[in-house]
Amino acid sequence: MREFPWRKILLLLLFIYLTFFSVSKAIETEPPVETSSAVQWFNPQRINVFIILILFFAFVLYFIQRAKKGESLFVRRIAGLDAIEEAAGRAAEMGKPILYISGIEDMDNLQTVASMIILGNVAELVASYDVPLLVPICVPFVLTVAEESVKQGYVKAGRPEAYNPNNVKYLTQEQFAYAAGVSGIMLREKPAANFMFGSFFAESLLMAETGFSTGAIQVAGTANIHQLPFFVVACDYTLIGEELYAASAYLSREPKLLGSLKGSDLAKFLIMIILLLGVVLESFGITKFSSWFFVQ
Amino acid sequence: MSLEEGKIMGTEEIIWNAVATFLTLCIFTFLYKDNPFYKFAEHLVVGVSAGYFAVILYYNGFVPKLITPLRQGEWVYIIPAILGLMIWTRFSKKWSWISRFSLAFYIGSGTGFAIPLYMQNYVIRQLSSTMLPVGFTTWALFTNILIIIGVLSALIYFFFSKEHTGFFGGTAKVGIWTLMVGFGTGFGLTVMGRVSLLAERVVFLREYFIELKYYLYILFKYGLPLS
Amino acid sequence: MNFYEQIMNLDRRWVYLVIGLVVVITAIFPFDVPLYVTPEVRSVYDYVESLNPGEVLMIGVDYAPEAMAELHPMSYAITRQCFKRDIKLLLCCLHQNGPGMVEQVISQVSKEYNKVNGVDYVYLGYKPYPSITILAMGQNFRIPFPEDYYGTPLDSLPMMGGITNYDNVKAILNISAGSATEYWINYANGRYNAMLAIGVTGVMTSDYYPFLQSGQIFGLIGGMKGAAEYEHLAEKGGYISREKDQLSAYKSMPIQTTTHVVVILFIVIGNIGFFLSKRKKSRI
Repeated sequence: MREFPWRKILLLLLFIYLTFFSVSKAIETEPPVETSSAVQWFNPQRINVFIILILFFAFVLYFIQRAKKGESLFVRRIAGLDAIEEAAGRAAEMGKPILYISGIEDMDNLQTVASMIILGNVAELVASYDVPLLVPICVPFVLTVAEESVKQGYVKAGRPEAYNPNNVKYLTQEQFAYAAGVSGIMLREKPAANFMFGSFFAESLLMAETGFSTGAIQVAGTANIHQLPFFVVACDYTLIGEELYAASAYLSREPKLLGSLKGSDLAKFLIMIILLLGVVLESFGITKFSSWFFVQ
Repeated sequence: MSLEEGKIMGTEEIIWNAVATFLTLCIFTFLYKDNPFYKFAEHLVVGVSAGYFAVILYYNGFVPKLITPLRQGEWVYIIPAILGLMIWTRFSKKWSWISRFSLAFYIGSGTGFAIPLYMQNYVIRQLSSTMLPVGFTTWALFTNILIIIGVLSALIYFFFSKEHTGFFGGTAKVGIWTLMVGFGTGFGLTVMGRVSLLAERVVFLREYFIELKYYLYILFKYGLPLS
Repeated sequence: MNFYEQIMNLDRRWVYLVIGLVVVITAIFPFDVPLYVTPEVRSVYDYVESLNPGEVLMIGVDYAPEAMAELHPMSYAITRQCFKRDIKLLLCCLHQNGPGMVEQVISQVSKEYNKVNGVDYVYLGYKPYPSITILAMGQNFRIPFPEDYYGTPLDSLPMMGGITNYDNVKAILNISAGSATEYWINYANGRYNAMLAIGVTGVMTSDYYPFLQSGQIFGLIGGMKGAAEYEHLAEKGGYISREKDQLSAYKSMPIQTTTHVVVILFIVIGNIGFFLSKRKKSRI
């Protein structure tokens, strides 16, 4: 017996409602209203912010606890990370080095921290392939962290003797001078792969374009939105924004990183549900739900 | 004529604008290749801005916020002064642990101010303004559908707890296309911004050479340098 | 190598040369460009028009000389409009290389309208750490700025009588090239509900449209095009004039137009070359 087409009927009804009966609401920005603030211990108009913040903290702490207990938390594979292994294999075949660029910011920038975690994993991978890993550094303090990351990577791969400290070197802290130095390394050494993970600014396109011209595989990742278009056009794979942090959590399996990632995923899921519910209710003219989220 | 009210530039203005013109052209030489003129201009701007910042910081930050209150007997400012000095211990391997107290205070208070407000302004306010009615009766309602689809699909793209397969993967693809449209917009605006800077510099060069022409004409015809 | 392969492998310096020639030729032979004024720029202009003489507007000028091309025209146009309408200005600077920018604007425009420091305008000066400064100003301007830029105590300035914090200014216009805009939105508007409009560089414009849509800012002047739109409105209102060479952003619009056309042409040709060469490779 054929199943009654409930879904099709509901979709048809929804379509008819939206086409002929949906509520039209002014979406232009309402005229600005002047308000004033006053000192108080607790602002009841911000209760919604308080509740949502507590929920978010609860999600993150819950998942961090689960990760610390050793539970396996699923994180999907990031596309660019597959390319790293492919690039290492290609570099071994061609007998060429791999270039790793960690951005131009100091260790107080989260993107640089994520980059160092990825560097350790890349070092472990290239050590097993016996491929030289060149790491030019922009900030002096990052040099010590990078040296340690690379050395640990080689130790984990069981190849401590293959670690060459001369391959991790400080160039300059000046932005375009650093870009010029990195471009020079790309043109001279002709690496098989360029990895650019971290915080970049205007020098990003200079380096990515030079790397493209040498024919290297390029994988980049940054959370600086303005540099993403340049990486997207010049690189083979780009980790966009949060994917950079997810990659560091995925590779390191560090409980705090994993827990934060899963907690924010749950928060995103909740936001999607709230948004859908709000849109449906607004379309039927019910504004009480969305008004709870409006901050005075 | 000059930028200001039709007056011709005086000698002092001509000289200083000549310096600005020379440095502008030095920077433009980088378009061909790196060279000593470009390096000179770049190092000059880095040095001057660092020196300028140091002086401004001293007279606008250090003096009014520390030295003047201490001179006026407000001894409570000694506490932030000591916290500030403790950060300098970062340069010593043996004593760098002391800087952690100052950093903890700075990061803690900064985070405490920032997190609730970022949650309020970047998440909740945006969430409430994205709850738009949708429909096909008016163009505005129809474009709201595009906004909702874009937001949801982009959120799904950044969802890491599920593989991008099936319907979920298809939605994530829509999300990445939405992001690419956004990146294209950002790229276009970046090009516009950079062209604006170039346009202003070229207009400056054009006006300077016109001024220089008038100045030299007056100088050679009447032999009088303008003040 | 066929034409499209040659284009794909073109030395970038030829592109620079073509762009340079287009810019120079347009600068020598400029033409009038019709301007469409966007609602977000008009809302800033209309708000300033709605203010009464004697009311106080706060302008946060947070940019350095590298952003002068896009943001200086906005600062000049808004300041001239305010002074002509006898609106009092409270200015501050939160960018370390920016104090001179404010000084240049205010000293030039105040002379044009015979405005007196301390009576018609007050320039608070520069303080580091924008987030802390903006938070402190929400309580009292005198906390981060006990004196103005020229060293005069704020309490001795006639204009500052009765002005304590954001509640006493009608709105804040932030003209910025960096992260200061984020702090103004988060702290001034988010915490203290101050009315806020922003003028930003072209690169940053797209980042702030969500805040315009959500009502956190009531106006947005984006890049040199936005500045040209504001100048166009100010010229129509009689606040600035072409004869006095006060439309600096509008002057650059012909160059913007021609350069954008050339860039679009290069993008189209480059993309055609890319897809044709990709098709050729897949055949091989």
